[in-house]
Amino acid sequence: MRWGMVVDLSKCVRCYACIAACRIEHFLPMGINWPRLVAMETGGDSPTVSTYSVRCNQCKDAPCVEVCPTGATTRREDGIVTVDQDKCVGCRYCIVACPYQNRTFLSKDKDQGFFPGRVVTDFEKAGKKLYKHQIGTTEKCNFCAERIDAGLAKGLKPGVDREATPACVNTCPARALTFGDLDDPDSEVSRLIREKKGFQLHPEYNTDPSVFFIDGKIGQSDEPKVDDKPEKEPEAIGVGE
Amino acid sequence: MGERKVIKTTCKSCHGGCGVLATVEDGKIIHIEGNPEAPTLGTMCSKGLSSIQHVNHPDRLLYPLKRTGEKGEGKWKRISWDEALDTIEQKMKESIAKHGPSSIAVSQGTGRGYNEYTHRFARSIGTANIITPGYICHSPRLGLYGLVTGYGRLYCDYHGWGGEFPKTQISWAKQLEISSADGEMAVWFLNSLKHVKNLIVVDPRETALSSRATLWLQIRPGTDAALALAMINVIINDGLIDKEFVEKWTYGFDKLAERVKEYTPERAAKITWLKAEDIVKAARMFAIDTPGCIQIGSSLERQANCGQTIRSIICLLGVTGNIERPGSMISWVPPDTGQREDFFTEIPITDEMRRGIVGSEQYKMGAARTAHSDTVIKQLLNGNSVIKVWFSVGGQQILHLANTKEVMQALKNVEFLVHADQFMGPMAEIADIVLPAAHWLEIDDIFDMHPRFMIEAHNRVVDPPGEAWQDSKIFNEVGKRVAPEYWFENVEKMLDYQLKKGNMTWKDFSKKVVHARMGKDQIYYKYKTDYWRKGGGFPTPTGKMELYSTVLENLGYDPLPYFQEPGESPLSTPELAKEYPLVLTTGYRQPFYFLSQYRNIPWLRSFQKDPVMQIHPDTASEFGIEDGDWAWIESPRGKIKQKARLFPGILPGVVMATANCFYPESPGPLHGLLKSNPNVLTDNNHCDPMYGSPDLTALLCKVYKAEDEKEE
Repeated sequence: MRWGMVVDLSKCVRCYACIAACRIEHFLPMGINWPRLVAMETGGDSPTVSTYSVRCNQCKDAPCVEVCPTGATTRREDGIVTVDQDKCVGCRYCIVACPYQNRTFLSKDKDQGFFPGRVVTDFEKAGKKLYKHQIGTTEKCNFCAERIDAGLAKGLKPGVDREATPACVNTCPARALTFGDLDDPDSEVSRLIREKKGFQLHPEYNTDPSVFFIDGKIGQSDEPKVDDKPEKEPEAIGVGE
Repeated sequence: MGERKVIKTTCKSCHGGCGVLATVEDGKIIHIEGNPEAPTLGTMCSKGLSSIQHVNHPDRLLYPLKRTGEKGEGKWKRISWDEALDTIEQKMKESIAKHGPSSIAVSQGTGRGYNEYTHRFARSIGTANIITPGYICHSPRLGLYGLVTGYGRLYCDYHGWGGEFPKTQISWAKQLEISSADGEMAVWFLNSLKHVKNLIVVDPRETALSSRATLWLQIRPGTDAALALAMINVIINDGLIDKEFVEKWTYGFDKLAERVKEYTPERAAKITWLKAEDIVKAARMFAIDTPGCIQIGSSLERQANCGQTIRSIICLLGVTGNIERPGSMISWVPPDTGQREDFFTEIPITDEMRRGIVGSEQYKMGAARTAHSDTVIKQLLNGNSVIKVWFSVGGQQILHLANTKEVMQALKNVEFLVHADQFMGPMAEIADIVLPAAHWLEIDDIFDMHPRFMIEAHNRVVDPPGEAWQDSKIFNEVGKRVAPEYWFENVEKMLDYQLKKGNMTWKDFSKKVVHARMGKDQIYYKYKTDYWRKGGGFPTPTGKMELYSTVLENLGYDPLPYFQEPGESPLSTPELAKEYPLVLTTGYRQPFYFLSQYRNIPWLRSFQKDPVMQIHPDTASEFGIEDGDWAWIESPRGKIKQKARLFPGILPGVVMATANCFYPESPGPLHGLLKSNPNVLTDNNHCDPMYGSPDLTALLCKVYKAEDEKEE
């Protein structure tokens, strides 16, 4: 089992919902973002606007794991790279080692609150209780491991069942994000990668990321596509004649 | 750990409609996400999710305030609701006695579920001088679709409930994918693209969608009618019209055919800066690969040819038979609770009220049920104002109307202005009394989806801060004082009243959250049934879909659509273009702001601190501007500055400025109103003959580097 994500560049419309959902899910301090949006705008005869929704790639050969001197950063059996905030000493080797720059050091200035010096909101107070962030340690996306673990314990399937799926995937109005098991050839992520020529960012770094990207045209093709099944909307909700 | 519960509600951080699950522990909100059981499938965008920072925001208005200094001086005193309501009642009654009810204007921001209250309130006190942004957003579509469907609503069928999805879609001056505008949700649109054969995007600049579309038409702003008419020309010449529909169900086809003869693709290419072959291609796609639908953006309604532009597009739908067919444009049947409009249309506009509408003599389509805002402004400046008392709820007229400097001056001339809002923004600053309003997480109300096939419940998740009230309560309480026969004991009774046709009480509906007519319960091809007319037909004077509009003819307008240059353009004002050589359009929207809202929400502001204008690298280099520079944008009315973003996906010679921006954190009373707001540049003298819409998205400008501000 290896959890992975596919980002469809032909669908992402740069709405920032993924970042907002992550901030809420993990009560992120004001100065921290786990996912980021990287804008690409090319010119020429066929200009292209693309947005790369990027986050920790949960690499199979993760340099951050190798350089961590305290064993705080480890790779779980399911492929998720985690940071144990209690073991992290804030040496920041991992930040230097990550070629994708997907780790952030939580310094005090990044945790000044939503409205510094004015008010601590109820949501922030709840966050202090429900989701610990340790100043002086390193943070990054964990593929919502908490949701995955709790969901699996209930017999749910990550990427299929909402409760066991990362928050950014659930909220995406463009449905540009897909989550699932890369080791399962029948999973949606595996099929998308196979049939839509999924690629990893900067393969030359040789870290084997678990986040893949796909692209394509809208329309034109008469061939059925793997994601051709539109989501079924609810039927009439209690109104009829 | 305290008691935790999940409350189902509905977001209206934009036009709204996304189902929400809000988790509350001991009365405090700890989590928010989309409701997967709602028709929006559990999705939410950055605006809605960041509502968490709206609750407890330290700048929220908590109490009614009364001005103590000069207008706009920023001196305020806390007063009680009783004092505020007493004063409003007294001022309104005085004005009615002295000048008649039309001397009272009621204004609102964009239509987000409080339209019913603003309109009912206005009508209940005897005025139809309602000031809304409608005439630059959605009203022209509603009014002109109304000439086809009777009640003025046509929406894209993204749902496939009739067994077919659109095969060709045109996204015309709209980014539904980031805006969910007018309640047509991004998630539905994007879902429907899985079925589309051709996606055509009409936009002066590249977007994620246009990059991957079948055809992208990079049009010169303000010339869309020429494109639509040329497409009709091609469709007729190629024999691609929907013959059966045109012959049986339309009126005036021959006259339309005659009219569009002059709009050859070659001529339209010169006007629109498109390639003639691309116009032909678009026309053929839309006519051959049917059904199809067209999603029209409000940019087209922020132009002084908006009426005829929308008419052109409606005729394009007509000749291709893309009305009421599954996968085309539909007027959805509302659920059994009826039209939400019934709540105010049950109080009809009397002849006296109609005569009192400011601008009604000139703008016969736009100022039939609401006032013409720019005429109100001109009257206030000229000292002959019909309007003496202005009751404003939400919205920042001071920001979104053309020619901000004139608007500021005019608003100071209003004898008595009340504004209800959540924050002290530029509109509140110029008021005499400010009322604190509640956020959607703090209210119990009925949300009406613009496409009208469903209503949703806003359920109160947390209490409003201080003494803030929800809009419906503000209207009900003022209404009870000025026109008691039309108002209710309390808000719950008022909500019950609005739901009575559906045999529901507010309590029932509150639990149900969504009440919708979807799937098989919808009715297609209404013109083939008795729905509109016994024996079939459209609800028009001729019983047909009028390509040649007898209604417009009777009002003295051209019954056939035509193209007209914007008031200022390289072609219409070549002399002016020598000094102001660039086309300025102001359609730039960011997905994390909604019009003038949310620049004070830290999470959202973190995405883009300063307003940005897009400019082609070649144009920028010609004018000495580099990426990230602050740049002046200047028109004959004034100048503003925005940050330059060099963008190869925009037409050279066109500048795209961010609209509706002010700086909430800057000191009042202006809050940076004049620094970056493009309406400082726009003109309110040249307006659409039908709707009175000024050229907000097509004018001329020059740009140059602002030396005094460096990249921060």
